[in-house]
Amino acid sequence: MPDEKNNNRMNRLDRFSEITGQFTAWLTLLMVVVTFVIVVMRYVFDAGLIWMQESVVWMHAFVFMIGAAYTLQRDEHVRVDIFYREMSARGRAWIDLLGVLVFLLPLCIFLALKAWDFVAFSWALAETSRESGGLPYPLLPMLKTVLILMPAAVGLQGMSLALKSLAIIRGR
Amino acid sequence: MEWVAGLLFLSVIVILLAGFPVAFTLGGTALIFAGIGILTGTFSGALLSGLPNRMFGLMTNQTLVAVPLFVFMGVTLERARIAEELLETLSALFGSLRGGLGISVTLVGMLLAASTGIVGATVVTMGLLSLPTMLRRGYSPEISTGIICASGTLGQIIPPSIILVMLGDVMTSAYQQAQIEMGIYSARTVSVGDLFAGALIPGLLLVGLYVAYLMLVAHFRPAMMPPHEPGPDEKVGFLQVIHALVPPLGLILAVLGSILLGLATPTEAAGVGGMGALLIAVLRKQLNLERLQEIMRSTLRISSMVFMILIGASIFSLVFRGYGGDDGVRAVLDSLPGGVVGAVTVVMLVMFLLGFVLDFIEITFIVVPIVGPVLLGMGLDPVWLGIMIAINLQTSFLTPPFGFALFYLRGVAPPEIKTAQIYRGVMPFVAIQLFALILIAIFPELVTWLPDKIYGP
Repeated sequence: MPDEKNNNRMNRLDRFSEITGQFTAWLTLLMVVVTFVIVVMRYVFDAGLIWMQESVVWMHAFVFMIGAAYTLQRDEHVRVDIFYREMSARGRAWIDLLGVLVFLLPLCIFLALKAWDFVAFSWALAETSRESGGLPYPLLPMLKTVLILMPAAVGLQGMSLALKSLAIIRGR
Repeated sequence: MEWVAGLLFLSVIVILLAGFPVAFTLGGTALIFAGIGILTGTFSGALLSGLPNRMFGLMTNQTLVAVPLFVFMGVTLERARIAEELLETLSALFGSLRGGLGISVTLVGMLLAASTGIVGATVVTMGLLSLPTMLRRGYSPEISTGIICASGTLGQIIPPSIILVMLGDVMTSAYQQAQIEMGIYSARTVSVGDLFAGALIPGLLLVGLYVAYLMLVAHFRPAMMPPHEPGPDEKVGFLQVIHALVPPLGLILAVLGSILLGLATPTEAAGVGGMGALLIAVLRKQLNLERLQEIMRSTLRISSMVFMILIGASIFSLVFRGYGGDDGVRAVLDSLPGGVVGAVTVVMLVMFLLGFVLDFIEITFIVVPIVGPVLLGMGLDPVWLGIMIAINLQTSFLTPPFGFALFYLRGVAPPEIKTAQIYRGVMPFVAIQLFALILIAIFPELVTWLPDKIYGP
């Protein structure tokens, strides 16, 4: 019974990562389109739009930060797999379980805690873009908030990986 | 406490071999070392307080925005089956010549790789695409696998590869740091465009050497690469050649040309290239919603993978520096006999060995920031150093028994091909690489001439 509960919980975590990743992926297309528009505007209308250029940089940040949990869920964070690939499923599960507990979770907790004040300060200050003609409030604090969201989401996905690994180790 | 930095470096390499994702292993191990240091009073915790700001700097890095855009372009071209059509057409065109198919595969590898620049992906794609054809037409397993490994790894140094974008970014800051330390404040800069320009001649040189080698083999050992008489349904018309060749070639030349001529920044060129790739895919009726979603998701995952390593590596280098690791590296490199030549040789050897366990992205983000400023402080040209590193690592990925490319190809090659055959096949290409490396070491102009010509010395 408790196992089944675990199962549901990790499926939900996986699902969450998947949905956020697939949704964020649209930004990659938007980045291409906006960059193209910037070039056209510059050459055809001789107009430089700072907020547009800034938006591409910020979309990029959203893409790789928010996409990190989804990438972990799809196991596409690159591994040095010379030995890993030769291991049994249980061996791999042990590596993943230990890796999450020793490296991933502490790292995520540390990053989120460190980022807290940095982000809170930005909101308190109602910080706006340093470029004149840049993107309006509250986009900059929102972008900085990603510094907390990324470790939180990756941490949750890491827990899902740990639970799945545990299930394999217990022989299910 | 420099020995702790050394221990950190070694620990990271050993722990990485366990196979947990690189990004988290790097960051996590460094964090543990920092924690122990703070508890024992040997590491200043204040060093870590700037971390959010540093990460935010990576998030808003202008240069690296080009990476996801180039990835988007590459993935789109791949999904639009450009490479398949190109290979079919070229091999039908040249297959009846001795060695024609092998040379076609080399050229397709060069073009395909130029658009993605991700080693494993290109070797696997090329392996699946061309290995069966070559074997079926009587090519020896040695020569077939050698061609695939070599041309599949070539992509990292043929612009516009994303690896050169990343290397360009790292070199920029390394160069700045080196000049500030030398007391030069009107610092000269090095850009991604410089690296693209610098890589062009060495990249074409390597292609030329591969093709020359294949022609020699075809001439003296025709049994290894027999010509193929095309059947009636394999003949290609002029229009078909145009259709297969012009769009992708035109796109890559336009992207590269606009960067080299200074018409567009790498980011802009990559964005326009992405749009062009979409257009090609639409015109070839290869694009629907499902495939578009695959392209976007794949782009997102590759970018995220790359940038998480960058974040992990930046935590690592923060802690490495906190323990005085960079001073240690400087002391070691300064004390080597032979001055600059000695230092470069040792760095290249170490990178070559690291290339057996670490991929290009990791070495760019972990090792180059450590050794780069020291070497550039000795007066080396940053573009030359970057290209030397790139070719050196490509060689490392090809070298038996640990080369990355060999593993990737082994994974997709049929079981009747023996690993020893792959090793034998790739050895001549390793020799070609070393020859090119020595050539560029003796004649740095091969790298520096074009950037100087375009951007001024």
